[in-house]
Amino acid sequence: MKGLNNKILEVDLNREKFREVTVPEKILSDYIGGRGLGVKLLLDKLPIKTDPLDQRNLLIFSTGPFGGTIVPTNGRFSLVTKSPLTNGIFYSNSGGSFGVIMKKCGYDGIIIQGKLKELGYLLIDGENGVLLKESSNLWGTDTEKTFEELKKIEGNKINALMIGQAGENLVKIASIMNDAARAFGRGGVGAVMGSKKLKAVVVKGGNAKVEINDQDLLKKYVKVAQDKIKVVPITRSSLPKFGTSALVNVINILGMFPINNFQRGFDERAVQVSGEKIDKNLTQEHEGCYACPIRCGRLTKAGDMRGKGPEYESVWALGPNLGIFNLTSVTQANYLCNLYGLDTISCGGSIACAMELQEKGHIDDPSLIFGNSGILKELVRKIAFKEGIGAQISEGSKILSKRYGSEDIAMQVKGLELPAYDPRGAIGHALGYATSTRGGCHLTGYLASLEIFAAPKKIDRFTIAGKPDLLILKQNQKAIEDSLVICAFAGWALGLDYYARFLKAITGIDYDVMKLLEIGERIYNLERIFNIREGLGRGDDILPPRFINEPLQEGFSKGSIVPLKTMLEQYYFIRGWDEQGIPKLETLEKLGIKQI
Amino acid sequence: MVVDESIYKIFKKVGKHLVRHGYNTSHSGNISIKSGGKIIIKRRAAMLGDLKIEDLVECELKEEDSSSLIASTELGVHRAIYLETDAMAVIHAHNPYCVALSLIEDEITCIDAEGFALYKKIPIIDVEIPAGAYYTSIEVPKMLKNYPFVVVRGHGIFAKGMTLEDALQYVTGAEQSARIRYLTLLTGKPLKRDFSKEKDFSIW
Repeated sequence: MKGLNNKILEVDLNREKFREVTVPEKILSDYIGGRGLGVKLLLDKLPIKTDPLDQRNLLIFSTGPFGGTIVPTNGRFSLVTKSPLTNGIFYSNSGGSFGVIMKKCGYDGIIIQGKLKELGYLLIDGENGVLLKESSNLWGTDTEKTFEELKKIEGNKINALMIGQAGENLVKIASIMNDAARAFGRGGVGAVMGSKKLKAVVVKGGNAKVEINDQDLLKKYVKVAQDKIKVVPITRSSLPKFGTSALVNVINILGMFPINNFQRGFDERAVQVSGEKIDKNLTQEHEGCYACPIRCGRLTKAGDMRGKGPEYESVWALGPNLGIFNLTSVTQANYLCNLYGLDTISCGGSIACAMELQEKGHIDDPSLIFGNSGILKELVRKIAFKEGIGAQISEGSKILSKRYGSEDIAMQVKGLELPAYDPRGAIGHALGYATSTRGGCHLTGYLASLEIFAAPKKIDRFTIAGKPDLLILKQNQKAIEDSLVICAFAGWALGLDYYARFLKAITGIDYDVMKLLEIGERIYNLERIFNIREGLGRGDDILPPRFINEPLQEGFSKGSIVPLKTMLEQYYFIRGWDEQGIPKLETLEKLGIKQI
Repeated sequence: MVVDESIYKIFKKVGKHLVRHGYNTSHSGNISIKSGGKIIIKRRAAMLGDLKIEDLVECELKEEDSSSLIASTELGVHRAIYLETDAMAVIHAHNPYCVALSLIEDEITCIDAEGFALYKKIPIIDVEIPAGAYYTSIEVPKMLKNYPFVVVRGHGIFAKGMTLEDALQYVTGAEQSARIRYLTLLTGKPLKRDFSKEKDFSIW
């Protein structure tokens, strides 16, 4: 397919062997690249019920036909693996420039399996080939130090995916980092890399050029798209100025900003950790990923520490969800998560769970109380190093709460901690949490775009009608966006009508919106099949009972609960799944899926 | 099946807007949404500007059912649009300026700022029997795969959206762009600035 190298690098860490594999045209046309390609490869290659931390698990990094072209926000790239946190499919999407350099090295993706004998890193040098290098001296180094050391060895013009101490210690909420604060954040993917004793994947050099079918036409389409990005307020000013933290005040005012482990949905003090405060007090410089005109990233300074972020989800997870409104403490904890390689959402969500367990008398640790910012930095360190109570929290909130016989206190779905939108404030968004194939995730089908941000038009956030239909459309859309690969934020200005035109100009294949949506639907069903194969099912499409039974007591979401059962039945019906949430044969046949 | 009250309120609001502002006559036009894996559409011959809750009919999405006895004549077009495009809501209206321009042009290029920013151009198609559902159901979805609306020459507009309000904005926005173009053409004077040429909308 034009727009791709049509080549993937297979790495066997056990035998220290490499192999270049040509991806069949049919797989590329059916799954495109990125998330879709990764899911297809994982399902085909991973033995059933493999332990996620077993050497046989795969790490599949990939880019798509947009990567490295002139399409705006094409710098993102994808990771697919089996998650140690959810035991299901996991796809993650990171910004930065690694994916583009990987593609310039001649590879659309890398599949890594096996385990090194000693800690090491994989070097993909576009000019000199592929190599595995021993790096036991990097054991115990954080991601910043690791990158500095790698630059000393490989030169300054590198990019690297790295794990910190959390990944080395197989912490189930560990992330994989690149470009300082860009992350494959969720699902404990850092632990998978740590289980392979792989400290880093380094890329450099390379000048492979993929063929573009009609570069002039692509330029014309991109010009129209860039104009649109410039006039839409969210992409023109809100995200560039405040980053994602612009959401703090908006979500708090709606009464769906989770406080103290989702026990409340509003707090007047939230303004203290808002995007406006970050912009005024912490921001030093703005920055963006490769080929991104939006540039939502920020270099910041908090107290005696410097770093990137915090993003909205991080500021919430490490702040108000713990009853903490001290912006310096929150930001420093965020920096530490980036250095240790920890997922900020799951880290904060698991600490919040521990604090509520303490509040309810299950954990005997008087320091572990909501609002105690003094313990935050040390607690984050203990989680990364699995020390004391940190060792328990490092397993994630589901296992932590189970240990104390109080699973209802874990605010998670399928083991993945929930993000910063109380589902009682937007019930379609809530259905998205329950049905996301990767667990409690807001990105898999962001219905908040309509329920909260009125994009393209506002819908009532408390009614059921039409929500399952709209959610499915959003989920299928996101699956294809993650496969092209393009940033979710571009979607505030653009959409599939733009992406179909880009893809047609790049590949020469007659793609339209419906064809893309069909691919998205195919990917989503394949993910569902993977999960069912691994033992997940209807019983996992749930929400914590708090959201079903306990209405919020104050603010503009007061009185709301989530009517999940009714929505879920409609959702399965529309998806063409049976009452147990298993895709029906005719649904799979329609989508051309052979695996059952 | 009784349609949800919240859905009825939106149908009533959108229906009233379309008639009050001259997009439809008293009984013409039809509006629908996709919900619960089915289509909810206006009943045939119901007054669009004064819809009652019983004027909304729930129909099967993927196959014909007995609801076609009472549903809008153009149910087949709506169904085809839902099956072949990403539409979640559909409006069919008889926008006067769009229809007028469709009789003298092959596409309506947006020359106003709002139009060129949001829509670029409004495609026009010819259908063998313009007011009949059969031919329209074949041709309209093809265009709606890549455009939010299409004008059937001499007949009216079909617009899709994520919601009914979204589709309504496309119907009213298209009419606004068509009206400005029509009025500008009427002056007979050349344009001082033609945004559409600057952006090369011919490629869109």
